[in-house]
Amino acid sequence: MEQWTRREDERLLSGKGRYVADISVPGCLDAAFVRSPVAHGALRAVDCTAAREVPGVAGAWSAADLPDLPPVPYTLLAGLATEDAVAGREWPALVKDRVRYPGEALAVVLAADRYRAEDGAAEVTATIDPLPAVVTPAAALDDSVRLFDGLSNTVLRGEAGQPIDPSVWRDAAAVVEARYRQQLLLPSPMECRAVLAVPEGDWLTVWSGHQMPHRLRRELAALLGWSTDRIRVVVPDTGGAFGSKSATFPEFVVVAHLAVRLGRPVCWIEDRRESMFVATRGRGQDQSVRLAADAEGRLLAYELTIDADIGGYPHLGVGLPMQTAWMATGAYTTPHVHATVRSVLTNTMVTYPYRGAGRPEAASAIERTMDLLARRLGIDPIELRRRNFIPPAAFPYATPTGRRYDSGNYAAALDLALETLGYEEWRAEQARRRADPDALPLGIGVSCYVERSGGEPGGLHEFGSLEAHEDGTVTARCGTASTGQGHETVFPALVATVLGIPDAQVRLVEGDTDEQPDGLGSFASRSAQVAGAMLQHAATRLIEEARARAADLWGLPVDEIEWADGTVHPAHDGAAATGLGDLVKSTGPLRVEDRYEAGMAFPFGAHAAVTEVDPDLGTVHVLRLVAVDDCGVVLDPAVVHGQAVGSAVQGIGQALYEGMTFGADGVPNLADGFLDYLLPTSTEIPPIVVKETRTPSPGTPLGAKGAGESGCIGTPAALVNAVADALRIADPDLLQMPLTPDRVWRAARAPKHEEGTR
Amino acid sequence: MKPATFDYVAPRTVAEAVEALGDPGREAQVLAGGQSLILEMHLQRSRPELVVDINRIPELDRMSVEDGELRVGALIRHAAFEAADAVPGPLGTLLSRAVVNIAHPPIRSRGTMAGSFGWAHPASEWCAVGVALDATVEVTGPEGPRALAARDYFLGPYRTARGPRELITAVRMPLLGEHTGVGFIEHRRTHFCFAQVAVAAALTVHDGVIGDARIGLVNSADRPVRARAAERTLLGAEFGPLPAGRRLPDTHPFARAGRVAAQEDAVPVAEPYADVAYKRQAVAVLVGRTLREAATDLRARLAAPEGDHR
Repeated sequence: MEQWTRREDERLLSGKGRYVADISVPGCLDAAFVRSPVAHGALRAVDCTAAREVPGVAGAWSAADLPDLPPVPYTLLAGLATEDAVAGREWPALVKDRVRYPGEALAVVLAADRYRAEDGAAEVTATIDPLPAVVTPAAALDDSVRLFDGLSNTVLRGEAGQPIDPSVWRDAAAVVEARYRQQLLLPSPMECRAVLAVPEGDWLTVWSGHQMPHRLRRELAALLGWSTDRIRVVVPDTGGAFGSKSATFPEFVVVAHLAVRLGRPVCWIEDRRESMFVATRGRGQDQSVRLAADAEGRLLAYELTIDADIGGYPHLGVGLPMQTAWMATGAYTTPHVHATVRSVLTNTMVTYPYRGAGRPEAASAIERTMDLLARRLGIDPIELRRRNFIPPAAFPYATPTGRRYDSGNYAAALDLALETLGYEEWRAEQARRRADPDALPLGIGVSCYVERSGGEPGGLHEFGSLEAHEDGTVTARCGTASTGQGHETVFPALVATVLGIPDAQVRLVEGDTDEQPDGLGSFASRSAQVAGAMLQHAATRLIEEARARAADLWGLPVDEIEWADGTVHPAHDGAAATGLGDLVKSTGPLRVEDRYEAGMAFPFGAHAAVTEVDPDLGTVHVLRLVAVDDCGVVLDPAVVHGQAVGSAVQGIGQALYEGMTFGADGVPNLADGFLDYLLPTSTEIPPIVVKETRTPSPGTPLGAKGAGESGCIGTPAALVNAVADALRIADPDLLQMPLTPDRVWRAARAPKHEEGTR
Repeated sequence: MKPATFDYVAPRTVAEAVEALGDPGREAQVLAGGQSLILEMHLQRSRPELVVDINRIPELDRMSVEDGELRVGALIRHAAFEAADAVPGPLGTLLSRAVVNIAHPPIRSRGTMAGSFGWAHPASEWCAVGVALDATVEVTGPEGPRALAARDYFLGPYRTARGPRELITAVRMPLLGEHTGVGFIEHRRTHFCFAQVAVAAALTVHDGVIGDARIGLVNSADRPVRARAAERTLLGAEFGPLPAGRRLPDTHPFARAGRVAAQEDAVPVAEPYADVAYKRQAVAVLVGRTLREAATDLRARLAAPEGDHR
C-alpha cells in the first residue's frame, strides 16, 4: 500500500473503482428524461404514444400518466428552507402544468438501455406555450412575471445583525460602496448524478453517489409511504459531489416510484449535458455593500444586502444566502454589521450548496471591500486588515451577525501568507513596473477569510460504531459518505492511533444504511471535524470497555487495568498483555455504538495572489498563489493538502473562468458543454503554495476543523483584488467574476482610482 | 456516446468512398479523425444516416511536396505538423506554431487538417492559414476531381463549396519561399476552448521592403478571413528595426495594420464574453503582435547560416 498516498487510491487510480453505472443488475431498465427546451412556459400536452412503440422501450410516462407520482420532497434541514417558502410551491417530479427551468423533466422513458431510452425520448412530443423567462434577481423581484401564479417570487426575507444608524455613515471619515455579482456556478463533479433502484419483495435497495444516504433513505421512504427499514441506500465509489449530491432529486423520485411500480430495477445515469442544464447550481447572489471607517482605518460599520436567485423551486437555496448573512462580519471587529437577504425564484435549476455554500459569497464581499476601503484611505490593504482583525485573545468571539467564532489567529495566517509570497519583493516589483510604461501591470491581492464548518445546530452530531474482532482487527462504521475525500484512509488511521494498533488493522464501512442505521452524511466540511471526533470518542470508549472486561476476567479493579498498543494488561503484576482479539475470544463480541455532537468550527486563513494583466487583451496571468489555511488539528496532511489545492482551483475557476450567459429566452448558453462553461484546466493552474497554521478547535477533543472548502472561499477575492490592484481601477463594479478578458479589457480602460476618488 | 442510428461503411479506395457518398437516398458524413463529427453525433446535432469512414484508404494517408506546394492527404493528422521541420521552410514553422493551438495532443493524434477544412468552423486555425496562403482544397465527387481555391471555398460557418457527394482528398498550400518570416498567435480563455481570436501572418521582404504580406484571421467573422486591407497597408513599407519595448507604438506599421484589419477586414460575430467591440480590439492587438513575431522570425532566418532551413 505504501506506493499509494491513500488507501483507496490503488482502486480509484487503477480503474478498479465501482461506481453506480458499473453495477450490473439483470433486467435493469435505463431511464431517459424528456426535457423542456424552454425556461418558462405553460405545459399544454405531452404525448408519449409514439415513444412506447420504439423497439426496446418498456414504457413512457408524463405526469398525467402517473397520478400517484409524489412531488420532490422539500426539506427544512438546518433552517435552509421555511414552511412559508414551500407552501403552495410544490416541485413536481415531472412537470404538471408549468415549466420553471430549462431542462425540467416533462416525461420519462424506460428501456433496455440508454440508447433505446433516448430513441424513445426523441419520439415524445410536448406542447409548451412559452412565458417570459425571469433570469436575474432584479427581474424576479418586481413580480411582473410570477413563477407561481398568485404568489410572490420572493420566498424569503431575512437578516443578520441590527440595522445601522444613518449617523454612522454620515459621521464616518470614509465610506465605500460597491455592487458584486456572485455568478451561478456549476459544481461539475467528474461523475454526474446516478441512482439505481432495485426492488426485491417488500424491500428496495438504492445505489447512489450521494453525500447523505440516510437522508435519501428517509425521504424515499416518506414519498413511497414506507417505513425506512424497508429501504437500504448504498453509496458506492463516487466521483465527487462538492455539495451537489445530497438531495432527493426529481429524477430520483421518478426512478424509485417506477422501480416499485414495475417491480423492476431502474437506473438513471445523468450525462454531462443533463448535468449542465439540470444539476444544482451554486452561488447566485447580487450583493451591495457599504463599509465605513474612521480616519485611522478602524472599521465602523458594514452593510451587506443580498438578492439571491435561487432557481425555479424553493429548496435548500431558500435559506442558503443566510449563511452569507451570518458570515458577513468576516475576520474583523467591526462593531455594527447588518446583512439582509431576499431569496427570489428565477427560471433556472435550483441553487444549492456548492463547495463553500454561502461562505465564499461572504468572504468575497468583505475582502473585496476591504481593498476598496484601503485604496480610499490610502492605507496599505495589509495594514488595514491588521488594524481590524479580531485578536486571538478575543475568542470565543460573538459577531454582530450572530456567529460565535471558536478560535483563530488571523494575523498569524496573514503573516505566513505574506512571508511565503514574498510580499515586499512583489511590491518592489510592482513599483518598478509602474515606473516603466512598457511593463505589464502587476497586482497583489490578499483575502483573509473566516468560514464555518461542521454544520448548523441540530446537525452537528454523527453516529457510528467500532467493533473489535477475534483476529484483533477493528471495523469502524459511521454515517458519513465519501465522494472521494479519503475517509477510508483518514478514519482508520485515526482510530488506530487512539487504540495504538497498526492502521492496517482498522477497516472503515460507511455509505450503507444497513451497516450503519443512523447518520447525517458528508457536507459542510464536517466529516473529519464531526465524524472524526465521534470515532475518536468511540475509540476511547472501546478502550474503557476493554479495560472493564479485562477487570472482570482477571478479578481486578478496573483502575488496575492498563491499555497500551491495543492490549490490556494488569498495572502491577507484570503478567503478559492480552491483545484485543484474545479479549474478544474470551469475553464475546465487543462493539461500541456512539453518537457524538461537536461544536461549530470556524476555519480561517489568508490567501495571497500575484497577477499580471495584459491590458490590451484583458488576460490575467496568475504568477503566484499562496494559500494559508487553518483547519485546526490536521488528521492527514496529504489529504488536507489535496483539499486545499482542489478547492483553490475551484476558487480560481470562479474568479477567472466559470460562468454562463443566457439567451433572451432564459436558456443558458451551454450547448457546447465545457466549451461554453470553462473550467480551469491543468494548463491554467498557477504555482500554488499551500501552508498552514494550526489553531485547534475547542469544539471537540480532536480539535479538527473542516478543511474542504477553504480555497473556494479565500481564493476568489485574492485574485480579484490582485487584478484591481494591477489596474488601479476606481470603480469596483467593473470587475465582476468571472474576470473574462473582455471585462478586464474594459476595466483597464476605465479611470484609475487616483482620478476617480470621491 | 448516444448518437441516432446510423449505417457505417469503411471503403478501401477513394472511388469506393465517393460511391458510398453518392447514395442520394441517405445523408452521409465522412469520418476521418472524428474530432468534431463524433461530438456532433453524440449531441445528435448531426444525425447522418451513413458514416463513411475513410481511415482505411491508404492513398489519403500521404503528405508530399510537389511543384513548390505542400500536399496534405485527407488522413494526415494534426500531430504531423508539430515538428517545425516536418514541412520545409517557413511554412513548416507556421504550421508548427499554429498546430499547438489545436485542441490537445490526444485529439491532434486523430483530427486531420482536411477534416478542419471540411468542418469549416470559424475558429479553425487551419482554415485561416489556408485563406492567408491561398490554399487549394482538392475534392472528388461523382463528376470527378476538382480543385477549389480557399478564397472561394468558405461560405459561412460550417458551410463550404464542397458538394455533399464530394470527398476532400487533400489540401495544398504553397511553400513559403526565402525571405519570409511567419507568426501565429492565438487568444483564448483557457487552453481547452476555441480561440476568441487568432492570427496567422507571413511577411516576405526583398531589398529591405515588404513585398508580400499574408494575414489570416481566426474567428473574426463567420468564416476565415484574409485581411487584405491590412496587408495592403504593409506592401512597400520599409522593413525597419523592431521597437525595443514590449508594446508597438501606435504609429508603427504593424499597429496600423492591426487597426485596419480590425475595422476593415474583420466582421466579428458576437459571442458570450466576446462582443464585437472586444473582438475588434483583439484582432487589432493580435495582428500587430503576430506581424512582429513574423518579423522576428524573418530576422532569425536571415541571420541563420546558409542551408539552415528551419
